[in-house]
Amino acid sequence: MAEQISRRTFIKAGVAVGAAVAAGTYFEWQGNNIPAAVQKGTALYDVLIIGSGGAGMRAALEAAKDKNIKVAIMTKLIPTRSATTMAQGGMNGCTGVTDSKDTPESHAFDTVKGGDYLCDQDAVEYFAENAGKIIYEMDYYGYPYHRQEDGSFHQRKMGGSSHARAAYYADESGLATVHTLFEQCLEQNVEMISECQMLEIVVKDEKLSGVIAVDMRSGNIVSVPAKTVIVATGGYGRAYWIRTTNPYSSTGDGIAACLNIGVPFKDPEMVQFHPTGLAINGVLLSESSRSEGAYLLNKNGERFMKKYAPDKMELATRDIVARSIETEISEGRGIGEGLNAAVYLDFRHIPKEIIKERLGQVYDLSLRFEGVDITEKPVPIRCSCHYSMGGIDVIDYKTCATKVPGVFAAGECSCVSIHGANRLGANSLSEVLMFGKTAGIGAPAYAKKVGYVGDKEALNAALAKWNKTFEEVTARTSGPRVVELRDKMAASMWFKAGVYREENQLQEGLKEIDDLIKEYKICYVGDASRNYNTAFMNYIELGNLLLVSKAIIMGAIARKESRGGHSRKDFPKRDDKNFLKHTIISKVGDEFKTEYRDVVITKFKPAERTY
Amino acid sequence: MMKYALFPGCVLEGAAKEAYMATKKVAVALGIELVEIPNWTCCGASHAQGVDELALIAINARNMAIAEGMGLPIMTVCNTCTLELRQAKAKLDSDKNLKAKVNEILAKSGYEYKGTSEITHLLWVLASNPNVFEGKITKPLKGVKVAGYYGCHLLRPPKVMNYEDGKNPESLEKIISILGATPVEFDFKLKCCGFHAFFTAERDVMTVTGEAVDSAAKAGADMMVTPCPLCQMQLDMYQPEGRAAVKSKVEIPVLHLPQLIGLAMGMSKEDMGINRHISAVEKIK
Amino acid sequence: MAITLNIHRTVADKKWVQEYKVELKKGMTILEALNEIKAMQDPTLSFTASCRSSICGACAVRVNGNAELACEVLVEDLVKRYKSETLTVEPLGNFKVLRDLIVDWDPKFDRMKKIKPSLHPKKEFSPEKGCKQSIADFKKYDEYAGCILCGACVSECNKSTVDEKDFLDPFTFVKAAKLVLDSRSRDPKEHLQAVIDAGLWKCMKCQECTANCPKGLKPAEAIEKLHEATFKLGLTSSVGANHAKALYDDIYNTGRLDESKLSIQSEGLVAAALRAPFAMRLMKTGKLDPFEKVPVNPEINKIRDILKNAKEAE
Repeated sequence: MAEQISRRTFIKAGVAVGAAVAAGTYFEWQGNNIPAAVQKGTALYDVLIIGSGGAGMRAALEAAKDKNIKVAIMTKLIPTRSATTMAQGGMNGCTGVTDSKDTPESHAFDTVKGGDYLCDQDAVEYFAENAGKIIYEMDYYGYPYHRQEDGSFHQRKMGGSSHARAAYYADESGLATVHTLFEQCLEQNVEMISECQMLEIVVKDEKLSGVIAVDMRSGNIVSVPAKTVIVATGGYGRAYWIRTTNPYSSTGDGIAACLNIGVPFKDPEMVQFHPTGLAINGVLLSESSRSEGAYLLNKNGERFMKKYAPDKMELATRDIVARSIETEISEGRGIGEGLNAAVYLDFRHIPKEIIKERLGQVYDLSLRFEGVDITEKPVPIRCSCHYSMGGIDVIDYKTCATKVPGVFAAGECSCVSIHGANRLGANSLSEVLMFGKTAGIGAPAYAKKVGYVGDKEALNAALAKWNKTFEEVTARTSGPRVVELRDKMAASMWFKAGVYREENQLQEGLKEIDDLIKEYKICYVGDASRNYNTAFMNYIELGNLLLVSKAIIMGAIARKESRGGHSRKDFPKRDDKNFLKHTIISKVGDEFKTEYRDVVITKFKPAERTY
Repeated sequence: MMKYALFPGCVLEGAAKEAYMATKKVAVALGIELVEIPNWTCCGASHAQGVDELALIAINARNMAIAEGMGLPIMTVCNTCTLELRQAKAKLDSDKNLKAKVNEILAKSGYEYKGTSEITHLLWVLASNPNVFEGKITKPLKGVKVAGYYGCHLLRPPKVMNYEDGKNPESLEKIISILGATPVEFDFKLKCCGFHAFFTAERDVMTVTGEAVDSAAKAGADMMVTPCPLCQMQLDMYQPEGRAAVKSKVEIPVLHLPQLIGLAMGMSKEDMGINRHISAVEKIK
Repeated sequence: MAITLNIHRTVADKKWVQEYKVELKKGMTILEALNEIKAMQDPTLSFTASCRSSICGACAVRVNGNAELACEVLVEDLVKRYKSETLTVEPLGNFKVLRDLIVDWDPKFDRMKKIKPSLHPKKEFSPEKGCKQSIADFKKYDEYAGCILCGACVSECNKSTVDEKDFLDPFTFVKAAKLVLDSRSRDPKEHLQAVIDAGLWKCMKCQECTANCPKGLKPAEAIEKLHEATFKLGLTSSVGANHAKALYDDIYNTGRLDESKLSIQSEGLVAAALRAPFAMRLMKTGKLDPFEKVPVNPEINKIRDILKNAKEAE
């Protein structure tokens, strides 16, 4: 026994075992991860925010400014674990402090052009007009901006931007965003409903009743009545499982919940693939690898970019490089197999000092995960799903409202749409802050005007249904395992709806996902405990990802053109005549239907996207 | 022959005179020449740093500058002195601006810090040169079970105290084995004795002191040995209060590293100043 | 090579140690080993993880007694470090365990609220125009903004292990140092006084926090910077501050610390008198000689100049 327990803690752990078994009081202990009123089901929120990333916390801070508004953030982890922490480059916004020639119009144009003209230009203009203000506000909140000589924050120029307009903290801009907001939430005493996985938004006859969630700690299913809900649950990169740079938590929970209440999923096929993920696990190797001059080589040691972009070579845009890599692999010039097939990223010609100084993180990650010292050997890389441009269909960019009254959405889970078919670097942090704030104004205003229109009976019914579901699915003793289905889903999505898409493959993929949805109904969870059941959480997440995956494929099948992140081998050209439109996918019962809505064009006439 | 500029530190000149005595005798016997750094000052003991960090970096830069003038590497016998000197050196050597600023301050008093003298500790010198013991262990400590207690500041922070992996160090056990004794593994060997919070968190300090001693005793150690005179003082002088705090019954002697070496080289208990300790001195034969 | 992981399990009111074996693969982190166990062997094993690139702080656990970010540390490296193909994985120390490797952050966040954890900007700043700050002032606190709240620093903290009721977590000291050192703060004392009240001087200086921080942030140094700030801002009426000042003054007066006077200088005459039994014991063995005068360093004037000039240089 002593050998099994670490040297330092042997005695303490020994004592703890005895104490815990004797007392056995876990469930009597009242955690404060959830307010008592929520445990009892008696809380009624004016604004209930789902998700604690940049958008969720920014929304909460805005809503909490009115002390008469009761607001809370529900999160499945704890508030600082979100995907927002992973953003590196900065937050775009025109302020002119570093580059006095910058204008909101320039920011808007760069965004629209970057988005391959699938953005709603009225929303983009609103975004570009206000993004600068967000940067100043964050300064006042305590954001640790890098400074310039005049004492102002410094802004740097990101790929696809015509001016220096990204304010930042090191290469950890997202981390600083999250922690600055969290500090404010702590000090303002914003209520947290922490470690609580949303299961359903309850809407009956277009009337919002509230949210059903599972308190991870106790396993209790709770119902939380709310006048408004702001969905801020982030992206869905995990549909591609290991071939994504996203965190484990990016499972499209909010999008799935919205699909189930009749809110459409807009432009689901618009997925951004980053060209340089580590082959082994999809972890991102920063864009700076290529900007510092690393070569891309196939298995024959050829710099294959000369075939695809002879002028720009490795410095071509993300989508072009991503497609070139996949072509090399599919034509047999890659190394390895399956999801981990790869090409090489070669740094050997770059002086060691430069690597140590400017590519420290790239060096560390390559060494850690691939066991490759990049000063000596090239590292295997492959594309990795990076960002979801599509999302919950927001129909009013000035409030972040969706089609269902009282339900709002902000951040990566939403589609306003400002990113269109492709997102620009450093626009995501600005988006979460800007539209988090917008939703944080829109939702309370609605709550005040309309009040609670929900139906407690509907909530109770949903609560009972989920209790039954929990018992039923966790009691199963056999069936396909959650991880098995998850891996099959990832393979289908990567090979049938990945960087390149074509009709036959997409149709096959659709059938595979449909089969998985059937298998999901009988799958094996493997843990029946109510206490912090992460196996059940993963089961819920897989269900959400399957819905999202189906929508991605349906959107991809319907969009018979290539635009931004969506590349059809069989339709390699952009087709403005037929597809200058948003894909709108809705779920009716178990069926999905596809419709279109025209893109809003104001100032910028669609033109060919060249850099 | 190995030769070092010795930085004894305040405690060796005061409460732990016996450690100074033992260090000098053992060094001579092992053929290590020690020359005391003339007019050295206190390293700040990790407390004065909290008043004015820059001042203490400069004070330690002065200590190092004197040793540089002697053309010798510095050897210390106290963990905290080692940490404070190495910490100052690490900061000065990695930050050109700081080095320039400090040298400007030093220049006014006639010193210059160059960064040419390495800083090491008696334990590290011995662990790296086990050959010095050859033929010298005339009274091996056969059958004696010794709990080696490292003390925090010889292991952490790891970037500055990087002689060995601070999460699984082995140097002390190596020396204990060379001396013919048996090293004893115990839960608290890498934990803190509490010395530095003595005035501010006394109850907690007595608890950790007691736990460390109790842990060694429970693991069957006949005695403890430590390379740090501050740990030694805490574990020995405050052992009665420490044991009371954790209700431990077994009293156990705590030796300075050079004392244990001296005993194994045939030197007497008195030569090593063990009579200046208070805990279970009679158990040392 | 097969690796054995002995994982400390807690589910509801049961606690036990469970042995798992995994095949060591290239680049396998502790998190990947845990993922593989959960996927292939035991879906009930619970832990949290999110970004798997050392930035979200969700996956810190304790391996063989030391806190690690599971997504970052390689199994292979730990096998080498501990010279053993068996590793013990536990939840972080100094946290309440919720299940298996998952710990409770709520009490930590509650305590964090005590320091007024957000920037209170100076009057001349506004949300519309932001703040101003020199590059040099930014550099005074910027590294502390890199804290990911993983909890690794408190896991092995010796002071917290004995009693955390009167002592903040190291990461909270880091946050406090960030706010106190930020030139945008209207009054750093607002945060600093709260930190002093919450145990600033009780740190044992064991450096475990710095040794275990996966981001290299040095919380122990943050505590030292806060100590320094108490002197700069004149909040020094405490035993800890007196003790630090006594040592500093000793260097100024003689170049060396004077053990016989230290207790009186630090605690005052009355408290020092209560230490008489200790002192008697020290005197009996010859460890403390109240009549011995510490010799004054022959270069004392140069030493004093260094202290004075350093103070002026700041």
